[in-house]
Amino acid sequence: MSDFKIASREQENVNVLALKGYLDAHTAPKLEEAFQNLIASQHFKIVVNCKDLSYISSAGLGVFMAFIEDVRQNMGDIKLTNMSPKVYNVFDLLGFPLLYEIFKEENEAINRFFDKPK
Amino acid sequence: MKVRRILYLAGAFFLVLVKFTIDLIGKNVELDFGGLPVIREIAAIGAFALVYLLLKATPVRNEISPVRKLGLALVGAGVLLLVCAIYSALDLAGFDSKSLSLVPLDYLTLFLGSLVSLVFGLFGIAVFLLMRDMILMNRKPSVRRNFGVLVGLILATALSTAWLRPLDSRVATGILFGLALIVAIVNSFRLPWIVGLTKKEKIFGLLYGFFLFVLFVILDVVVGGNTLVGRSLLYYSYPLREFVLLISVCVTIYAGLAFVSTLFHLPTAEAFDRKRSEVSSLHSLSRLVTQVFDFNELVDTVTAMTLEVVGASRCWLEVFPVSKDQPVTAGSEVLAGHQVRIAGMKNITREQIELLVPPGGENVRNDVIRGSKPLLVDKIEGDPRFPVWRHHKDVAGSLVVVPLISHAGLAGILYATKKEAFGFVKDDVDVISAFADQATVAIENSRLIRESIERERLFREMLVAQEMQKRLLPQFLPSHSSLDIDAISTPAFEVGGDYYDFVDFGDGRVGVIVGDVSGKGVSAAFYMSEMKGIFQALGRMYHSPKEFLTHANEALVCSIDKHSFVSVIYAMFELEKGRVTVARAGHCPLLRVSGDRATYVRPNGLGMGLRSGSIFENAIEEESFDLQEGDVCVLYTDGLTEARREEDEFGYERLLETTRNVRDRTAAEIKDAILSTVSDFTNHRANDDDVTLVIVKWKGSDPREDRAIRNRRRINE
Repeated sequence: MSDFKIASREQENVNVLALKGYLDAHTAPKLEEAFQNLIASQHFKIVVNCKDLSYISSAGLGVFMAFIEDVRQNMGDIKLTNMSPKVYNVFDLLGFPLLYEIFKEENEAINRFFDKPK
Repeated sequence: MKVRRILYLAGAFFLVLVKFTIDLIGKNVELDFGGLPVIREIAAIGAFALVYLLLKATPVRNEISPVRKLGLALVGAGVLLLVCAIYSALDLAGFDSKSLSLVPLDYLTLFLGSLVSLVFGLFGIAVFLLMRDMILMNRKPSVRRNFGVLVGLILATALSTAWLRPLDSRVATGILFGLALIVAIVNSFRLPWIVGLTKKEKIFGLLYGFFLFVLFVILDVVVGGNTLVGRSLLYYSYPLREFVLLISVCVTIYAGLAFVSTLFHLPTAEAFDRKRSEVSSLHSLSRLVTQVFDFNELVDTVTAMTLEVVGASRCWLEVFPVSKDQPVTAGSEVLAGHQVRIAGMKNITREQIELLVPPGGENVRNDVIRGSKPLLVDKIEGDPRFPVWRHHKDVAGSLVVVPLISHAGLAGILYATKKEAFGFVKDDVDVISAFADQATVAIENSRLIRESIERERLFREMLVAQEMQKRLLPQFLPSHSSLDIDAISTPAFEVGGDYYDFVDFGDGRVGVIVGDVSGKGVSAAFYMSEMKGIFQALGRMYHSPKEFLTHANEALVCSIDKHSFVSVIYAMFELEKGRVTVARAGHCPLLRVSGDRATYVRPNGLGMGLRSGSIFENAIEEESFDLQEGDVCVLYTDGLTEARREEDEFGYERLLETTRNVRDRTAAEIKDAILSTVSDFTNHRANDDDVTLVIVKWKGSDPREDRAIRNRRRINE
């Protein structure tokens, strides 16, 4: 149940966190730590790839909420990509698409960081 | 038992009398007729056999210590020799040896000779029994067997002389005697009682053994030689003489070997005594540890025993606050912060302790904490770790410091000092370590008890919280003839973050709310109670679900922390119109079953507590639909749809199907059917998230109730 992994990599100055497994109250601290590390090292352009994320609970959703303000204040963003329909449904139920940019593919999210503001 | 002993005694007495009578007759008449010699011999042997049985059946012997037994034998032998001396000094007529038989020359000789023989016989049996007890303290079968062989050989030797005239010689007796001696020597190595003696007892044992040996050598000569006593015994009964002689020789050998063996045990006696007191102290200490929970008493016992067993002059114990998160390290805050508790001080004051182990700087405490193993300081003088020693020479010359290591970390340190340098040997360190281990167990125990009391308190608090939370949920369901409602909420832990409630506006509108606070447990429960407050305060003020959610969000958003949120669904039933309006703040959609058609009603929305103001307000949409008679609305939390069976979850599809299949039943039955289907799905595992389920069944509008509602509304206006 509590099998949860985060693979972190940097691509064109954007940090990608690839999540895998179950993100619930037990594993949420792992993701919190990953965000904290990025913010502490002044990385605010973050893409979270949810391709292998099989489950997310309300506590998991809370992690995204905890850091989004900090990140946006520093001209960065947290963008979400590659969600399975089930995971997307959880985000969608709560109205997250209103608060976060959610993309089908990781590249779209990364490129989005380099779009000229209109 | 007592009757039997009296019978033995009476029988022996009677046989002795018979024998004496025959002897009286035999003094004057040749006894070669009527089997009289046979009867005489049988009477003698029988009498002693009964005495043997009598003495063997006397149980008091078991309570006498081995050394006392030696002492008793010694006294007995002394008395016996005194009797011999007096008997020999009486200048009796003695015996005449004619045709290989002995005949007493006068009646006094006959009488006194018989008496002395009886005394010898009794003594022989008694001493033999004492020896038997001592040898058989070792209960091994082989020891018993060897001793049995000895008894057999002694009896065989004695009986082989029966019906012989005293001065006959017999080869068989000689051979048996020799064999008996060999077996006696083998048996004499059985000295199991020596090992257990204290040093004092061993010294006594040594003396007793020596004198016993000497006295029995004399007895051997007296009984075996051609003395008056020897001749008296021979006359009285040849087997008796052989028996007494053999016993006497056996005891001589045994006493001699006991003497030598005790001599060899003497040098180790002190060490043995010490080991024994260590073992017994540890034993009583470990018993104390499990029985006594008074920490100070235990520590006191530990230090007192340390003093006693290793002969230390001063001793004390330092107890550290144990915590897994903050282990005690050399020079750590704990030590600097005077959190060390000094306990069980023996012959030492706090000031003296501070001189020996000064706070801060290099000291033995830090060394032991670093090394986590016992430390022996042979000579405090000149050791740089004791800078002020010079001023307190009388306090300590040598020191042992032992850490108390529990599984939670370093629990404390046990110190013992001696006045002289090089006072402790390696053995002492081991013993003090053993005491330290016991002290650790005691400290650990008292800590566990404290913790379990605390746990118990928390457990009770949680029960109270659970009870309180149950009361936050509606105690009564709204009762309207057109609505059939049932509801349930089960937290995964003692308390949870799920919430449901109803509001009856009294004008034909009934609001149903179901909410779910992110996370679980206590933090969720607090937000849940806040939700209750907000709903109770604002619920009646806003008649549109969207309006209510917007205002409730404003109230909540200021107090909720930024990674928590609450998802809420609010359904407003208008009884007169048979219409429902639903707004959803990030919550699971409402399930609507109408006839064969089952759909999820999912207006757009946003979780409460995530954003304030217009962002939230704009995100919330309302959706309305008309109700047909028999329609079922299901409101629930994600604990229901996310109920798991390994990788699979119950899901929306199963909820929809289950509800559609039972839609004709009452609300309570539909609720039970859904719960039991979920429970079957999860194989009846306890739910790992809070589960809430509210069923509202529309029974069609009731004209009478509608009229009543209209009247009430008019009055209100």
